[in-house]
Order: sequence, then structure tokens, then C-alpha cells
Amino acid sequence: MPRASSKRKSSAPQNPPAVKSSNARSGTSTHLFYSGKAKAKEIENFFDKYANGGIIDPDGIVTLCKDLELEYTDVRILMLAWKLKAVKLGYFTQDEWETGLKTLQVNNLSKLKKAISELEKEVRTPPNFADFYSFAFRYHLTEEKQKNIDIETICELLNLVLGPQFRRQVDLLIDYLKVQSNYKVINLDQWLGIFRFCNEISFPDLENYDETQAWPLILDNFVDWLRENHR
Amino acid sequence: MSNQKKRNFQIEAFKHRVVVDPKYAEKTWKILEHAIHEIYNHNASGLSFEELYRNAYNMVLHKFGEKLYSGLVSTMTLHLKEISKSIEAAQGGSFLEELNRKWNDHNKALQMIRDILMYMDRTYIPSTHKTPVHELGLNLWRDNIVRSNKIQTRLLNTLLELVHRERTGEVINRGLMRNIIKMLMDLGPSVYQEDFEKPFLEVSAEFYKVESQKFIECCDCGEYLKKAERRLNEEMERVTHYLDAKSEAKITNVVEKEMIANHMPRLVHMDNSGLVNMLLDDKYEDLGRMYNLFRRVPSGLLTIREVMTSHLRETGKQLVTDPERLKDPVEFVQRLLDEKDKYDNIISSAFNNDKTFQNALNSSFEYFINLNPRSPEFISLFVDDKLRKGLKGVSEEDVETILDKVMMLFRYLQEKDVFEKYYKQHLAKRLLSGKTVSDDAERSLIVKLKTECGYQFTSKLEGMFTDMKTSQDTMHGFYASHPELGDSRTLVVQVLTTGSWPTQPSVTCNLPAEMSALCEKFRSYYLGTHTGRRLSWQTNMGSADIKATFGKGQKHELNVSTYQMCVLMLFNNADRLSYREIEQATEIPASDLKRCLQSLACVRGKNVLRKEPMSKDIGEDDAFFVNDKFTSKFYKVKIGTVVAQKESEPEKQETRQRVEEDRKPQIEAAIVRIMKSRRVLDHNNIIAEVTKQLQSRFLANPTEIKKRIESLIERDFLERDNVDRKLYRYLA
Repeated sequence: MPRASSKRKSSAPQNPPAVKSSNARSGTSTHLFYSGKAKAKEIENFFDKYANGGIIDPDGIVTLCKDLELEYTDVRILMLAWKLKAVKLGYFTQDEWETGLKTLQVNNLSKLKKAISELEKEVRTPPNFADFYSFAFRYHLTEEKQKNIDIETICELLNLVLGPQFRRQVDLLIDYLKVQSNYKVINLDQWLGIFRFCNEISFPDLENYDETQAWPLILDNFVDWLRENHR
Repeated sequence: MSNQKKRNFQIEAFKHRVVVDPKYAEKTWKILEHAIHEIYNHNASGLSFEELYRNAYNMVLHKFGEKLYSGLVSTMTLHLKEISKSIEAAQGGSFLEELNRKWNDHNKALQMIRDILMYMDRTYIPSTHKTPVHELGLNLWRDNIVRSNKIQTRLLNTLLELVHRERTGEVINRGLMRNIIKMLMDLGPSVYQEDFEKPFLEVSAEFYKVESQKFIECCDCGEYLKKAERRLNEEMERVTHYLDAKSEAKITNVVEKEMIANHMPRLVHMDNSGLVNMLLDDKYEDLGRMYNLFRRVPSGLLTIREVMTSHLRETGKQLVTDPERLKDPVEFVQRLLDEKDKYDNIISSAFNNDKTFQNALNSSFEYFINLNPRSPEFISLFVDDKLRKGLKGVSEEDVETILDKVMMLFRYLQEKDVFEKYYKQHLAKRLLSGKTVSDDAERSLIVKLKTECGYQFTSKLEGMFTDMKTSQDTMHGFYASHPELGDSRTLVVQVLTTGSWPTQPSVTCNLPAEMSALCEKFRSYYLGTHTGRRLSWQTNMGSADIKATFGKGQKHELNVSTYQMCVLMLFNNADRLSYREIEQATEIPASDLKRCLQSLACVRGKNVLRKEPMSKDIGEDDAFFVNDKFTSKFYKVKIGTVVAQKESEPEKQETRQRVEEDRKPQIEAAIVRIMKSRRVLDHNNIIAEVTKQLQSRFLANPTEIKKRIESLIERDFLERDNVDRKLYRYLA
């Protein structure tokens, strides 16, 4: 079978990727094999529109956003990155693109537009959201062996990711982070702690916050600050 | 008895009732009745026991037990009523005597009657469940005499009156009392208790309530306690003499309650004579009495302990925060030791070495010693003072005693690691200046610290001693291999292992030419025998003896620091030197140089140099000269010895910071150790375990522990559990 499809393909160098992908993602791609040759091609073409040197770089993403009529700082782009399981901030590899779009069953711009608004709903369901939240942090670790993200970026991320759902907490937390001087960076453990905090602690009364529990120290300090300044 | 008819009869008990002539019964009874009368009338000698016994026996045998018994009851009752009248008639004092006499008579009579009626006692009475004769006699006595209207109240009042009189100091007839009380006891426990004991206790309570009120108004605490003790002893003695032993606990309870328990707070807090005053004045006897009395009542000892504890904490707190006291660290510590001695004596002399009091003492000391963050430093300074001079001439035993007492204080410290840091600094100075009074004492203290805190605490300190010893050997070797240096040992080097000694940053200092050649010789010698090591001269820790000749020919030997030596040697080649010139030549850091020059030029009696202008401060343009007019009555003059002093503020901050820094890895090590063995542990338990593990060195701050945990999470030593965020897991 693979040989048959390779015979029909016109441009030889383009064959192997399509074949490789469908072999690697065996679970989802059965339908592709039958109807997907054309689709795969379209996805490829779609990719090429934004790609530069075999990869979609930040410029390409900006263009993509324009086409999608989204700001490139829009959280939905981040969600797309999550769906694509993108590894490097600001880049989509061909693999990531093609696999991701196949999962979304999207092969062109208009379908992508629709998929993205569906995607938002999907991401906001609890188990996915937790995963997305964690992804948001890790995605922004740009250097190898980097474990922390600077406060400024964290504030922007919080606003983007948690803002819609926990507006009050996020606003106050951002205020605090900018004012305090104990921490210049935030690590993953603290990042995850913030999420649990928003989910579990009643706000703004903070009645069920217990300092003797294992909350990250930065949140203990945040609560103290809140209690002092925002009675 | 001759009236008896002679009968031959056979008893066929199983077949038919033998009916006896009722008159027989009546006659027999009359005989017995008469006998009873005689007995009561003290005429028993004329009676035949055998005959009477037989009569009684026969009556019972012929089924006249009922008649016999009821007759007995009525006869005895008759007599008792008469007796009752005679007792009632008794006047005043003779009332009890009459009662007693009649009681004795009754008992004797009862015994005889019982003997006579023994057969009835053994057969008729058990089978009819009637009261046995003896008991019957007692009951009748009870009902007709003791509880008769005219006697009961009078008896009780008389007894209570006598007790009261005895309490107010009169002498009473104790034997009589005993007998009467015994009578009540014999009549049955309920008689004694109901008819006497209960009212006795009530009246006693009332009596002591009044008396205690009176005393407490007019006596001070010590006197009051004496009185209470006396009363208590009195009551106990009363019981042994004429009351039932079982009453002792009850009456002592009454006294304890009325005299002690009800007035405890007022006694303890009495102005000018209460517990606190007794403690201050070491009133062992009073304190001992208070202890013995209060331990009898609920919460008695607790009260004493609480007042003692709060007093101790208060005085202790004042002691450690009083700015006057803080000026002299040695005095400060001495005062603490004195206070501890004082209370140890109180507890052993007055409080029976009670462990709970020891514990209260310990916890109080621990509380206030740690209120002052400089306590660790001061205790080290105290030890330093003792080991430099304080223990000179003191016997070995006494040295041990003093060191043991210091160890006691050491145990109370929460921040033992701070003590270690200071101790190291002070020990270093002592060792390097050779100023220790007794090597044995030094070593003894190290051993004590090791026993208390473990090997790790003292390993570096021991390293310091080792270095000193090794240096001596090195010196031997050096001079042996350089015979050209002759016998005079101008240079003595101590080689210090960096890790063991308190860290000092190495500073610049140009040694005089005479020195530097020799130092180089040593350096190459040492490095020749110890490859791979690095030596750096610690010019800020050395000392020198210089022979100096002054303007008028006076010769002196000056004992100075290395810096001072460098400065002074410059004057071999110049009469006048400005500050800047000196600074340039020696390259000693400015602040150290200024202090050095001050000690050489501005201290009366030690001013080997002269400064222009004569001000106390060192200015950049100041000029220095040798002070030709220098005089001292001693040939050897010590200038600016490096004595351990109380740290200045910035030094204190630095030390504190270093201690904090040192604690971080210790906390982390403890966390890792615990997690490695437990694998999974929740937050609160980690905090508790870490605190416990580090307790012997310092009190770990939970926030600091949390910070370290987070740092360890970041470095992938630990992780949080996905489901329960309070759990941590060790990552191998």
C-alpha cells in the first residue's frame, strides 16, 4: 500500500513525510489513509504558506494570526500551541502542525478558524485546563535547563491564562508580584500552586487558607500582604 | 436449785411434740429472770452457772425459746431504763463517768448472760434469725441509753465540748474520752459515724474556718503556716489518743481544707511575707513547711510551682534585658549562675528535690536565657575569661564544678550553633596568644561539649588543638634543619588548617625585611615536606616581642601585634613618618592601621609613639615620632593584646549572618536525610522531624524549612504528590 501511494505522488521528496506521519500516528490516521492523501497535501500546503525554511517561525505565526484575525498575544494561539503539543516557544514544526491539524480535522484557514473557537471550549474543561495551565509554563521555558520564568512574564501569563476565570485573584496577585522583592523568578511548583490556590481558596475572605499547610511560601506571603493591605 | 421437779422424759423430737407443763416454763423463766436481776445488781457471785445454763438449755429444748428470748429482751430493757435514769441524773463532769461505769457494768453483765444463754444463742437464734445475745445487748444499750432522748444530745454535746476545750488549750481526761468513743465504736460503725463523727467533723470545720480567718488577718505567711502545721499535728495526735483511726484522714482533710486550701492564694501572694519573699530571702524552713502543707491539698504544689515559675521568669527577664548588666558579659553570666545555684538550693533544701520543680526551674531558665540573643556570645566570653585568668590557682575539682555549671547554662541555649561560632573565635585567640590558664581545663570543656552535642560539634575545636601540637613539631623540624639560625628562635609559626579555625580573610601586610627572609625560609621548608598545600600568612593574628631602646637609654621589651611590629620597625630607618607614608610602606588596610596607630600613640602608659596633632583620631596628614620620653615601671610592656571582646554592632550582624547561612545547608541535609528514609512524608511531619533533628544545635524556623523544601523541589530532590499537595516524595 505505501508503495502504491508513493508511486502516485508527483513530487518525490514530499512523499516520505506524509507516509511517516500516518505510520507514526496510527491511532488517529486511519481515515487519513483513505481520504487523507488530498487532505494531507492541503495541510502541507497550508503549512508552507507560513513556513520559512521548513518551520513556522515567529514571523510566520504573526502572519497566521493576522489571517485568523487574532492578536498574536491572544490566549487562543497559546491553546493552539497546546493542541499542537508545540515544544519551542514561537515555532511550529511541520510534524507538530500536520499532526495537530489532522487531530483537529482541519486543512484550511476557515476550518482552522472554526476549530479554534471550538478549541477554546475544549481547553476550558477541567482536566484539560489543568494540563493546559501546566503547559503554558513549560512552553515559556526557552533555554535548555531553564527552570524559572521572570516575574514580568509570569504576570502576563497569569493574566492571559487565568485572568478570564479568576479575575480578582489574578489582578491582586499581579499587584503583589510586582511589589514584593523576595522572588525574582517563579518556578513550576509555585506556578502550579497558584492554580490550586485560585481553585481552592475562597476569595476575597481567604477563610480556608491555612498557613501550616504546604502552600508555597510566596503564597503565604501573598496572603499576609492581602490581609494587611486589603482589609 | 431445789425446786426443780424431777422428771424422767424421753425426747422423741422426730415423732411428736412433747408438751411440757406450761407452768414449768414459767417457773424456769422466773429463775433466769431472777438471775439476770442479780447480775445487774452485782450479786452474781451467788449464782450457779451450771444450773442456769441447764435451765436455759431446757427451755430452749422444750420449745420455749421464744419465751426465753422475749423475756430476756424485756428484762434487759427494764434494767437499762433504770440505768438510763441514773445516768441522766448525773451532774456535769460525772455524766460521762457514770455513763462509762454503767457501760462497763453492762458489758460484764452481758457477757455472763450470754454465757448462760449460750445454747439459745447457738440453736434457737440462728434458726429464727433473731439477733444474737451479745449483739442484742449492744443494740438495747444503744436504743435505751445512747439514743435515748435525754442522753443522746447531751452525750454528743459533752464530747464536742471536751474536744473544743482541748483545742483551746485545756487538758481533758483522755482516757475517759477514749472509753466513751470506744463504746460508740463497739455499738457499730454507723453509731460512731452518725452519732459522733459526722457532727464532730462539722463542728471542727466550723472551728477551723473561724480560726483560720482570725489567723490570716493577723499573721504573716510564715507564722500562719506554723500554726496550721501545729493544728494538723494536734488533730492527728488526738485521733491516735482517743478516736477511731479511720477518722484521721477525715479530720486532716477538714483542717487542710479550712486552713490551707481555702486560703492558698492569699497566703502565697501575701505582701512582704508570701512565697516570693520567701524565695528572695532563702527562707528554707518556711518554704519547706509550705511545701509539706500544700502538697496535702489539691493543686497545692501546682500553685507554688506556678508562682515560683512566673517570679523566676520575671526576674530572669529583667536580668537578661537590663542594659546595665549587659555591659559586662562575665558579670552577666555569673549572675545567671548565682541565680541557678540559689534555686537549686531551694529545691533541694525545701522542696524535697521535687522533680516537677526542677523541671519548672529548667523551663524558666530556658525561657529567659533565650530572650537575649547575645546569651550564647556572653556565655562564651565567660568561659574565655575563666580560661584566661579566672581559674588560676583553682583546684581541679573546683574547675570541674565551674565548667559543669557552665554546661548547664549551655544546655538551655536554643542557638547552640551561635555559641559554637563564638567559642571557636575566642578559643582561637586564646590558643594563638598562648593565654590559656590550663590546657586540661580546655580539654575538659571540649569533652563535656562533645558528650552533650556529639562529635561533630567539637571535631573542629579538637582540630585546633591538634594544629597547635603539630605546629610545635613543625617548629622543631624547621630549626633542626636550619642549624645556621642558631639557638635563638626569632620566628615561631603556627600552621592552622583552614577548615578548623574561624575564617579570616587574608589581608595585605608588608613584613619588615628582617622578617620576610626568615618567613620565606619557613615557607619553603614547610612546602617541601607538605606538597600540595597552600600557605598564607595571617598577619592580623600574629604577635611579636621587640626590644626597644628609647631616647634616654631606657630599654624595654614590647609585646605587640604583627601590625604594630611592622609599623614600629619602620622607625628604625626614619625619625618621622606621616600616616600616608606608613600606610604605603606597610600596606595594612586603613581601618586596621588606624586602630593599630591609636593603640601605639594614644593610650596612656603605652604610647611608644608620639603623634602630631595629639588628637585621639588618626588623620591622613598626622605625623608620627618615636616617643623618646616613654616610661614604664615594667621592663616588659604589653601593648594592645588581642583580647576577646564583646562584638561591635557590625561585627555582630556579620556573625549572625554567617550563622544563618550555615544553617541553610544543615536544614537541607536534615530534610534530605529524613525524606530518604521515609520516602513520602507530609508537610507538618517534615517540619516536626527537622526541628527535632536540629534541636541540639538551634531552633529551626518553620518558614526557613519551607524555603529549603521549595529549593529542594526546584533542584529535583523532592516533588509534591500529584493528588495530595501536602505530601512530599523523595526523588532518588
